[in-house]
Amino acid sequence: MLREQFSREKLLKMLRKMIEIRLFEERVERLYREGKIIGPTHLYFGQEAVAVGVIEALDKDDVVISTYRGHGHGVARGVPMKAILGEILGRAVGTCKGLGGSMHAPISVEHNIPLATAIVGSGLPIAVGVGLAFKYRERRNVATVFFGDGAVNTGAFHEALNLAAVWKLPVLFVCENNLYAMYTSLKNVLAAESIAARASSYGIPSYVAFGNDVLEVYETTSKALEKIRDQSGPAFIECRTYRQKGHGGYDFGTWYRAKEEIEEWMRRDPINMLTERMKAKGFITDEERKKIEEEVAAELDKVVEEVLSSPFYDYEKLPSLVYANPP
Amino acid sequence: MYQVLSPEGFAEEELDPRLLLSMYRDMVYARVLDRWLMRLQRMGKIGIHAPSEGQEAAGVGTAYALGENDWIFPLYRELPVFVARKVPISDIVNRNLSNRADPLKGRDFAVYGDIKYRIVPAPIPVAVHIPSAVGFALSLKYKKLSEVVINYFGDGATSKGDFHEALNFAGVFKAPIVFVCVNNQYAISVPVSRQTAVERLSVKAVAYGFEGVSVDGNDVVACYLAAKRAVEKARRGEGPTLIEAVTYRIGPHTTADDPSRYRDDEEVEMWRRRDPITRLRSHLLRRGLWSMDEDEKLWQTAEETIRKTIEECEKNPPLPPESILEDVYATPPWHLIEEREEFSQLR
Repeated sequence: MLREQFSREKLLKMLRKMIEIRLFEERVERLYREGKIIGPTHLYFGQEAVAVGVIEALDKDDVVISTYRGHGHGVARGVPMKAILGEILGRAVGTCKGLGGSMHAPISVEHNIPLATAIVGSGLPIAVGVGLAFKYRERRNVATVFFGDGAVNTGAFHEALNLAAVWKLPVLFVCENNLYAMYTSLKNVLAAESIAARASSYGIPSYVAFGNDVLEVYETTSKALEKIRDQSGPAFIECRTYRQKGHGGYDFGTWYRAKEEIEEWMRRDPINMLTERMKAKGFITDEERKKIEEEVAAELDKVVEEVLSSPFYDYEKLPSLVYANPP
Repeated sequence: MYQVLSPEGFAEEELDPRLLLSMYRDMVYARVLDRWLMRLQRMGKIGIHAPSEGQEAAGVGTAYALGENDWIFPLYRELPVFVARKVPISDIVNRNLSNRADPLKGRDFAVYGDIKYRIVPAPIPVAVHIPSAVGFALSLKYKKLSEVVINYFGDGATSKGDFHEALNFAGVFKAPIVFVCVNNQYAISVPVSRQTAVERLSVKAVAYGFEGVSVDGNDVVACYLAAKRAVEKARRGEGPTLIEAVTYRIGPHTTADDPSRYRDDEEVEMWRRRDPITRLRSHLLRRGLWSMDEDEKLWQTAEETIRKTIEECEKNPPLPPESILEDVYATPPWHLIEEREEFSQLR
């Protein structure tokens, strides 16, 4: 049951964000297949509601720690798509001057995404450190960290959750449970009842949200944030979702997943789900949605063109990125 | 928390007198030997000792639940387990003296282990032996052996990533292992309340999909019965159990620690009143299985036997210096052979 009455404006904003992510990723996928992207890329298809639902509920000053599947987090947070795509394509306009690539694309200090890490589980202890800094400075902000189901079996996860709980730090742990850690099904590596249940072994309150329902994710996040801002320590959200494509751009996600399973999740597409809800309320028509898609597509096509014709970073200048005063 | 013997020695379940008397004897011997090792360290004869005073019930009770083919992966504070395993006292003393009769040839300090008794030497870093114990247990399962592993660690270990990865693995693959978390309230100077935000460490098993149980670690009968159930379950192929034995370390963390800097005397006194040996004795006296005369004699014999054993052990010569160059290569390379010759001339 939803507590909040969502305004048409709010819902349109979230729908547009999700469409932006989807169409952005479509272009990334195409560029990857065309061989224009150096290195791996991990696409966010199907998980849009998690990024948008969580990030919409955050304050501007809250910190987000992202992962290698982070393009969606960046777009949801309002990092310019040109900078994200620039990073993915290794251009100087990229968020990290094109030196990090796809797995670090959402990083933007200005948007409070100081880190997107490629190592599974490694963002969690860092988020705990950010939480400690917030507490130390007596700020009411929250460090939010995204991670997948594979991360929950790493030692870093364990140490991070324990410390956050003992020290009562303002950290929001968001598990994007897309059921597969690369090609490993969650049911082969988790004997516990659920990922959310695991939070209880640290004394952390936990919530489960259907990760394809952006409103449920938003509400759950708001509830968790209230608890954290009451100074009562961290909170944990498990968002159950599905990646519609493979693990990385090179993987089609088909050989280790059943056709029926994929089809079932495609029927629960997060963007379509929100559209249906909005239509039921009379907030949108099919034509209006189509119009949004066309607008976003036109914007993105321009971005792709601009980035492709922009220069790579001047590698001669690399030392200046390491030292303030080069030796 | 699971308890069978009340602090006054009343029992909810009356075990076989022979078993109880045997456990009592081992607890007394472990206590006396532990105090001797402290003394030997203070006399400068051994390097370091991690005292087990107060934790005898947790060690002896759980070790009695094992079959003789089962494997022990201890922590460095498991003297009562070794005594219960019937390891000769001389082996333990020689180990600590690192002399020529030391079964580990001075290769490590303060920890005991011997394949003869299926005891794997404990590591000094906290929790790193848990993944090894799980791997070993999985190898037993793979070989279709009916042997079981018991793995001891402290409350501090539960905050380590190794603990998490190992217990998850054990749960997913149903390893034949019993985890015994000897919660003695302190990880060196860090109290449990600063270690975890949960009330009982046994709840951590929920995260791995197997049973966790907290027992009164100063109640040897509860420790024994809980471990016995867990060992039998593991042997039946039904996977691991996490046992939290709630107890207290009466002494310092090691001989290199001053606990008065981080805890009150009153707290120590409170736990002294819950002494596990006194509790079992009250029960034995209550059932008429034991008398104060016999008790006095047992403590005296233990003291005498151990003192004499130490005297004998001290007669063993030290390890020769060249021993440091042995045991790595089956066929030592030329430079080590040369070095060994050089070393042997140092004597």
